[in-house]
Amino acid sequence: MKSRRNPHTESQQEEWRKRNKTILTYIAAAGVGMIGISYAAASGLGGTAVVGHDAEKVESMTPVKDRILKITFNADVHAGLQWNFRPQQTEVYVSPGETALAFYKAKNPTDKPVIGISTYNVVPFEAGQYFNKIQCFCFEEQRLNPNEEVDMPVFFYIDPEFDDDPRMARVDTITLSYTFFEAKEGQKLPLPGYS
Amino acid sequence: MSTAMNFGNKAFKPRAPDKGSFPLDHFGECKNFKDKYMKCLRENSYENSLCREQSKQYLECRMDRQLMTKEPLQKLGFKDLLDENSQNSTETGS
Repeated sequence: MKSRRNPHTESQQEEWRKRNKTILTYIAAAGVGMIGISYAAASGLGGTAVVGHDAEKVESMTPVKDRILKITFNADVHAGLQWNFRPQQTEVYVSPGETALAFYKAKNPTDKPVIGISTYNVVPFEAGQYFNKIQCFCFEEQRLNPNEEVDMPVFFYIDPEFDDDPRMARVDTITLSYTFFEAKEGQKLPLPGYS
Repeated sequence: MSTAMNFGNKAFKPRAPDKGSFPLDHFGECKNFKDKYMKCLRENSYENSLCREQSKQYLECRMDRQLMTKEPLQKLGFKDLLDENSQNSTETGS
């Protein structure tokens, strides 16, 4: 007897195949959805967002005048760099929401041009997210000619939302530290995405 | 406070400045304004809020000499000084 395909079985198999495909599609979609949700959670959309900084904020923010913060300044050079680098003020007193200016000074006492590049650090750590630099001298190569000395400004503000953060309630002092490194040809420092 | 249980997510992440880097004032073109600002700070217990006119003048100097991108002062947080100036029609600059 020639084995015949049972037409019922065949159409049923076909139906199963179609249903399986649909089920698989649903499972795949659910999987992608779950991955998407976990990415969102990990990137902090549901958690502590990093306080953003933008031009609109600077224009519209108002100083929190009854809150005074002491900003202190450190300066360091990495061992290989022969610059004299120091802050021009040990501290300034600012309010959150108020733009402020501070100066460092750098001198190249050698008889050759030296190129430096700097990064910075803010302490306490949790205050760093509120420390916004509008403009400074960091992250770009700075070339000092032999015996040249320059003023290096930092123009910054503490985000007014600092005053609303209960974790910052007892923070009175924020320390800004800059460190200069010698920039060598082809050297790449782990700096934030910035040309 | 860092302990052995620090999971590394406490590393400080430096951020690039909003408007980039100040070109170096190689010729000290704005040094006088910087000196005025520093003098004001010294005379006012380093209170930034009392020396904002001087910091505004320093930045204006930079903008006038292509040492800073020209920008309306309101965008640099000096809106209050501009409002004051327009109110005091007899304001004399230094």
